[in-house]
Amino acid sequence: MLTKKPPALQSFLSLVSRRASHLARQQYDVIIVGGGHAGTEAAAAAARVGAETLLVSQKIQTIGALSCNPSLGGVGKGQLVKEVDALDGLCGRAGDWAGIHFSILNRRKGPAVWGPRAQLDRQRYREFIQSELLSTPRLTVLEGSVEELLVSEPNPEEPGHHRVTGIRLANVSHPISASSVVLTTGTFLSGSLFMGQSTSPGGRIGDAPSSAGLSQTLRETLGLRTGRLRTGTPPRIVKDSVDLSLANVHPPDSHPTPFSFLNTHTHCKPEEQLPCYLTYTTPGVERVVRESIHLNCHIQEDAKGPRYCPSIESRVLRFPGRQHQVWLEPEGVTSDLLYPQGLSMTMPPDVQLRLIREIPAMHRAEIHTPGYGVQYDFVCPTQLSPALQVKSTQGLFLAGQINGTTGYEEAAAQGLWAGVNAARWALSMPAMALSRTESYIGVLIDDLVSRGVTEPYRMFTSRAEFRTSLRPDNADLRLTLKGFEEVGCVSTVRYQEAVRVRDSLQDALAALQALALSTHSWRKKLPDMRMSENKNALLTGMDVLQYNDVSFEMLASAFPECFSPHMEFSQRLKIEAVYRPHCNLQKKEIERIQKEENMSLPQDINYLSLPVSLSQEVREILDRVRPSTLGAATRLQGMTPAAIVHLLNYVRHTGRKERRTRRDKPDRKEERKAAQSATNASLPQ
Amino acid sequence: MLPSMIRGMWRAAIHNLRIRGTPACRLVSTCDGVPVGLADAETIFALSSGHGRCGVAVVRASGPASATALRCMTGLTHGRPPPRKALLRSITDPQSKEVLDRGLVLWFPAPHSFTGEDSVEFHIHGGPAVITAVLHALGSVPGMRPAEAGEFTRRAFQAGKLGLTEVEGLGDLIHAETEAQRRQALRQMSGELGRLYQDWSHKLKRCLAHVEAFIDFSEDELIEDGVLNQVDEWVCDLQAEMERHLQDERRGERLRSGVQVVIAGSTNAGKSSLLNKLCQRPAAIVSPIAGTTRDIVETALDIGGFPVLLSDTAGLRESPDPVEREGVRRARERVEQADLTLVVVDCAHLPSDAKQAVTFLQGHLSSVLPTQGQPEPVFPADRFLLVLNKTDLLPEEQRLKLDGELSRVSGLPPVCHISCYTNEGLQDFIAVLHSSVKILCGDPLCCAPTLTQARHRAHLQQCFAALAQYQRYRDIDLALAAEGVRLALTSLGRITGRVGAEEILDIIFKDFCIGK
Repeated sequence: MLTKKPPALQSFLSLVSRRASHLARQQYDVIIVGGGHAGTEAAAAAARVGAETLLVSQKIQTIGALSCNPSLGGVGKGQLVKEVDALDGLCGRAGDWAGIHFSILNRRKGPAVWGPRAQLDRQRYREFIQSELLSTPRLTVLEGSVEELLVSEPNPEEPGHHRVTGIRLANVSHPISASSVVLTTGTFLSGSLFMGQSTSPGGRIGDAPSSAGLSQTLRETLGLRTGRLRTGTPPRIVKDSVDLSLANVHPPDSHPTPFSFLNTHTHCKPEEQLPCYLTYTTPGVERVVRESIHLNCHIQEDAKGPRYCPSIESRVLRFPGRQHQVWLEPEGVTSDLLYPQGLSMTMPPDVQLRLIREIPAMHRAEIHTPGYGVQYDFVCPTQLSPALQVKSTQGLFLAGQINGTTGYEEAAAQGLWAGVNAARWALSMPAMALSRTESYIGVLIDDLVSRGVTEPYRMFTSRAEFRTSLRPDNADLRLTLKGFEEVGCVSTVRYQEAVRVRDSLQDALAALQALALSTHSWRKKLPDMRMSENKNALLTGMDVLQYNDVSFEMLASAFPECFSPHMEFSQRLKIEAVYRPHCNLQKKEIERIQKEENMSLPQDINYLSLPVSLSQEVREILDRVRPSTLGAATRLQGMTPAAIVHLLNYVRHTGRKERRTRRDKPDRKEERKAAQSATNASLPQ
Repeated sequence: MLPSMIRGMWRAAIHNLRIRGTPACRLVSTCDGVPVGLADAETIFALSSGHGRCGVAVVRASGPASATALRCMTGLTHGRPPPRKALLRSITDPQSKEVLDRGLVLWFPAPHSFTGEDSVEFHIHGGPAVITAVLHALGSVPGMRPAEAGEFTRRAFQAGKLGLTEVEGLGDLIHAETEAQRRQALRQMSGELGRLYQDWSHKLKRCLAHVEAFIDFSEDELIEDGVLNQVDEWVCDLQAEMERHLQDERRGERLRSGVQVVIAGSTNAGKSSLLNKLCQRPAAIVSPIAGTTRDIVETALDIGGFPVLLSDTAGLRESPDPVEREGVRRARERVEQADLTLVVVDCAHLPSDAKQAVTFLQGHLSSVLPTQGQPEPVFPADRFLLVLNKTDLLPEEQRLKLDGELSRVSGLPPVCHISCYTNEGLQDFIAVLHSSVKILCGDPLCCAPTLTQARHRAHLQQCFAALAQYQRYRDIDLALAAEGVRLALTSLGRITGRVGAEEILDIIFKDFCIGK
């Protein structure tokens, strides 16, 4: 069910509004500022939920552009792509359309940590995203620069609390009003570019800097705390100038696996895929870095850079005397450029050339565009709710690098969720949160809003404590059904497919469970299986499928009448069988956390004066972070079991009082049940 | 929320197993490479009577395995005893069948028990050997583990068995119990054993960091397969060490029971004199030279029938002498571990103005106490006594004024005037000390190191079992193998402190150059 080829770019561009005066309306439910990975997912998601949505981008051609590496997915990041797809987002299908080299990373390390990944054709990716946005009902795209974020005067009863009313564009007199605004400004918020000793304002080379007004509104009018981070990108190399015979060829998987649950195959045919190349740095590279340090402003600055994905400068300075890997990645089917992954650098262009020529395969290489560094502002994400809404400003949502993350997938995941909640806010539906027990998106958002960031945040599988339950293979079962039934961001087509998959899997698992034989009979039926022990008890098909050397195919050929109808899901069934015992063990812990997460703490609690016995230290932690649920509070560093119990008592108490003042006739039994389950939930074991 | 579908599948699977007459936990203990299951709800046990001179001790267990414990320890194989009726039985070790004691057993089936769960009570003789033996026997029953601080009360709370006022006090109760447990653990962790556990925790963190680095980064980075071989070796070594430790009958240093009372204060305030007065013998050297006591001087006492372990410590002051500095460090450590601290102050150092004297005392207390990161230290009355020594040097008028002022301010611990020289006020002080010790002895966690030891042992066994999961899955599924190391670290973390994901990432980025 691969999406049809997108219409020619030309016809697409003629269909969007390029000037505000052409807009059919001056009022929208949701306005998205920014057209990167976060912005495009947010716009599409808001429209899917049912909001009239406007996407404003400085430059329409760059909507959906891959600003840095030409790839999507990987270990941890691939999980995010699968989840965005499961919630009917764009990036998974775009990856399947634009991919030119597919591989599953970690294939030998267990399906829970498989990392679906693809090299992308930049142009195809952009075209796909643009065409998807164009064909999305209720979505308008506008080229323009946002001059100002419009907010209401604070309510005198709640000082410091604002409400978003819309935006004002540069060179346009009338404002555009909206109930929600999603800011996805990426590196453009007070961004500055660094190359050698020169700096210039901007968020990406070749694009105009964004207006200072936005930054000012966030900091001064809304009083948000911001910080500064840095990142960088490598020079792009002319492919013909590289001697690829001196690098190791890295072929793709022979059978490309699509990201999307809707696709059975990728757009690129298996044999049309392009290889990547692997090469290494030499001592000469380290020498050039050391010699040019005085010409390099960026790495002398003290803005926080990541410990992963660091520039080549910080790599050789931190781990001297080592070889570092450099991947040479194709930029597209027709592109004549290579992307040198691992060579992000900010020295002057002539030194960059000297540096890359120290690598044997690139001894005669030419640079097409030099690398550069970016420093930009981010908003400390602990000021956001789990719906990615700024706590102090109703209707204002933030997603992507503005929240201190790095990476396309992290941006897309936040964009989607911010878009969903922006639409729900505008349509007067309650906010929704994803739990860290059900998705990597939940882990990402929970880490951001409850712990904040000190360096650009990137997803790793080790951040997800329940990663054996949150696997790439079951993202549809975890999220698609909920996405349709509760969130409203999933199309009927996708929902029906997920229901079909769920029912088929259930049937197959029941069949596996129903077949129970003695060890002896299993040995006779599956002679290749090494079954070490002799057990008197019967073993089911499910038990046997857990064995390392048993595949579902083997079972299907031994018992065709039982299992051959389920061959479509052979891989998923095998994974399910292996992981299920572990997931069962995690279930109790997961349920406990979910109960805690369902107990929300009022946002207006004054922790410093709360008439409850809490230590000053705990009060300060709570006041600083203002967790939105009891679950988030328990995870804070410095919280004590006693403090949690006091907090729980307080919340239950005030909850009861509120109910009483509403003069509802509470159902005693129900209330007690709820209180009890809440108690169970909140008491640390 | 997990998708309802998967839950459905689980339910169906468990149902199927039950129908065929197999318990649900078989699901997790089946074929090769699947971990042994943890029971759904654990059964907990603890000594629930106080410590000291008592004829009868009460050991309580709560949870689904209580019935099993009752059956296999009292020989009540045919049916269960009548509920809530005391029965006189021989209490035996379920493994060795050795008779441990003869005492009363009471069976409280759910929901009519303190916790709302199946519960059993053993009323046994109060000697420490019997108590230890019964606790040890309970720990060997499958599905049973020592209770965490406040766990019985929490279960009662969850079952809705506590009244409103009890619920209001629950937080403070749990705070008190966790504090007592923390101090108890601190005492054990400060010695050789603590260093051993910390070392294991450090090694396990390293193991996990290296496995996680291999999972998250090896596809793009230069992380060789050798990393895993290194982890294999570490895990093997750890397992061997833990096994030896768990089998070692010596169990390390014998921990003396009793309320831990520590004497602390400035040099020359008369701390050692107080110790000598209390134990009625010259246990510690006393001299007019400041800094006479350098190491901890410990002595076991009986105060009004309650066991007390009294420690005299070096006077707190900045000193250039490295030996004295070490003494001061040990003194501060002891104060942190103490159940009760006697802060001794030399009256001669008090300002003559009563108001200033109170301010002086407040300042003095803060300098003695561990700060615990709190801007304003609190002096819970049950953990501190302020002893004003050399009261014979204080003019009567000044003393009256001081008492008047002290009665006006709040937030100070109880104050006693004594003179070790004239014995003035000593009887009153001992009476105050007696009542404090009596209260502390009511808390079974406060003075029974066996309980903490049993808890540690249970966590170590879990840790050991989890490492086996790593080895089982090492070549089959690295995600599940890593899960084993994680579980091991979580179990050990219950002794040495929780380890978060960020800490593991810190090690990864320190040990590897991650540069994708």
